[in-house]
Amino acid sequence: MAQVLHLYGSRKLHAASIRRPGVYNVVSPAPFPSIHFQPGFTEESGIKRAGSSGLAQEEAVVKRFIEKFKDKEQRGLFYSLLGGKMLGLLILYGVILAVPAYFNGHLHADVTPTAQAATAAAPAAAPAVVPDPPYVNPINTMWVLVTAFLVFFMQAGFMFLEAGFARTRETINVLLSGIVDTCLCGLLFYAWGFAWMFGSGNGFIGNQYYFLQNIPLTYGSCGVATLAVFLFQFAFADTCSTVTTGAMVGRTGFVGDLIYSVGVSGFIYPILGHWAWGPDGWLNNIQPAAFHDFAGSTVVHTIGGMVALAGAIVLGPRLGRKFVRDGGGPMPGHDMTIAAVGAVILWFGWYGFNPGSTLSAMDFIGIARVATNTTLAACAGGLTPLFYLYPRLKKWDCGISINGFLGGLVAITCPCYWVSPLGAIIIGAVAGIVVVWGVDLMEHLRIDDPVGAWPVHGLCGIWGTWSLGLLATGEFGASTTTGADNSAGSVVTGLFYGGGWHQFEAQVIGNAAIGGAAFIVGLLLMYAVHYLTGTLRVSKEGEMEGLDLHEHGGVAYPEMVTR
Amino acid sequence: MGIKRIEAIIRPERLEPLRVQLEAVGYPGMTVSETEGHGKQRGVENSFRGNIYKTYFIPKVKVVLTVSEKSVKAIVDTIIEVCKTGKPGDGKIFITDVAEVIRIRTEEKGLDAL
Repeated sequence: MAQVLHLYGSRKLHAASIRRPGVYNVVSPAPFPSIHFQPGFTEESGIKRAGSSGLAQEEAVVKRFIEKFKDKEQRGLFYSLLGGKMLGLLILYGVILAVPAYFNGHLHADVTPTAQAATAAAPAAAPAVVPDPPYVNPINTMWVLVTAFLVFFMQAGFMFLEAGFARTRETINVLLSGIVDTCLCGLLFYAWGFAWMFGSGNGFIGNQYYFLQNIPLTYGSCGVATLAVFLFQFAFADTCSTVTTGAMVGRTGFVGDLIYSVGVSGFIYPILGHWAWGPDGWLNNIQPAAFHDFAGSTVVHTIGGMVALAGAIVLGPRLGRKFVRDGGGPMPGHDMTIAAVGAVILWFGWYGFNPGSTLSAMDFIGIARVATNTTLAACAGGLTPLFYLYPRLKKWDCGISINGFLGGLVAITCPCYWVSPLGAIIIGAVAGIVVVWGVDLMEHLRIDDPVGAWPVHGLCGIWGTWSLGLLATGEFGASTTTGADNSAGSVVTGLFYGGGWHQFEAQVIGNAAIGGAAFIVGLLLMYAVHYLTGTLRVSKEGEMEGLDLHEHGGVAYPEMVTR
Repeated sequence: MGIKRIEAIIRPERLEPLRVQLEAVGYPGMTVSETEGHGKQRGVENSFRGNIYKTYFIPKVKVVLTVSEKSVKAIVDTIIEVCKTGKPGDGKIFITDVAEVIRIRTEEKGLDAL
């Protein structure tokens, strides 16, 4: 047995010997001549040589095939392989036909019977009354779709931001895990994520609309087509899923990343999100004030931040990371250009994230208020940490300004519908300082968080959720299709506007419940992936040579030395 | 008449002024490469998000000139004049003997190859 294992182990090609750039390149990209000297290489022949080698290979393949085909046995093999492939294709085609046919009768359950009744009634020549179909509000649907596209664009922002704060040796891994998290999230949210989060069931989990079956034409009271709401909420789920990767950059195995992504997008986010945003979520029913989270400081960012923290704790720091209290320091990002621009792309996407959560284009005053509050919180958040940190080292730190305005955006995400512009500035300003404290706390606790995911998303998500209980003005209530419902019983009032502690308590309870559950389940998930599958953290050699070479077979910048 | 190799490790931003000044003095040719290193100070300290980290290798530029012994003093004086700032990190100049110089195009040897 040991011999077999040894044989298998020795046949596994070592990454370092096989995948180094430059060894297998046909044409060297470097300006100086390649050190791998090719006889007969001149300026002119270099380009010709690259082209001719491809054709020669194909000719050889065709020649080999013709030779083999002359033998009877080989012919039989060829035909049986062909037959097998045709059979497989037929089976696949059958599945493609059968699955939609099975589901076909079940879409738009409440419309089809009506249409059938109408067509059945007409030929019967009885004056049957055809009821109006459910009304789909066109402009509200378009609004939700456009903002869904904006929120999706935040994925590009996240990819830039995380890649910029990572080192060159793990850049491809960061980018690909961003793409893959998005793809997984879409499929899982379609399969059961939307069902658990937005279907009716009980206070803790939904139980309708699996695989988007039997969905109504519109979802909610604003007349938005259900699939538009699905798309919008998918983009939110995607944001949460991407936040979790931020603290785990540089040492997470790709398979482990896939597994825990399924856990976050498929289980943690939909179930915990149902508590706040489900039609019968239990946090909507707490008295005397209900828990409010307009666009997801708790549901998206606190959950994401807490799972990120759990992941960073279970993973441990990157190799070679010495913390400040032990005489070391942070590992700087490799590209502040894309980090900064990526963060501004996130800011741009936030104009879909917050204003889109009105789910109604007709609530134009609400949209304007939300967009203004979002902007002001970001502006304040970008400046306060800059000035807060300057006395420490007499330097204006770009990284902290980035994290600061992102923290301001995260914080305003919960209260944006209910606070005044001045309140938004205060919330953003405090969020900026909170980010600095969070970064220092992580450094002190020896938790390696390369992009600052927990200080920005977790900690500022908590602050933003609490701030509603302090700074809600009491002028606005629940958002409806045409505007805020400002009746006396339904306005949201915070402590500083005479509303007492009720709203603040509700906010703390909701955030603690969701955030605490996210952290505990996140820890369980990460420990399960780590101990049951062993795929959460890569091997030491893999981490030292870089995830790009180890998991993805290449480097992000082949023409430069990778660090 | 001997041939000497002057190897100067200088600050990257001084390369262009050095090239301009050397043009005035006259030199056969130069080879330039990017490199990094440290000296007695063993690196510098930078900061990221409010915390300090140590960088042990600082980017520098290496300029190599192979000249006849006569020109060494003028070139070395030019390098020092252009590249000196008085602060740590100015760099070093190494001068070594060269056994042979050959121009590949014409196969000339020795001083004719410079």
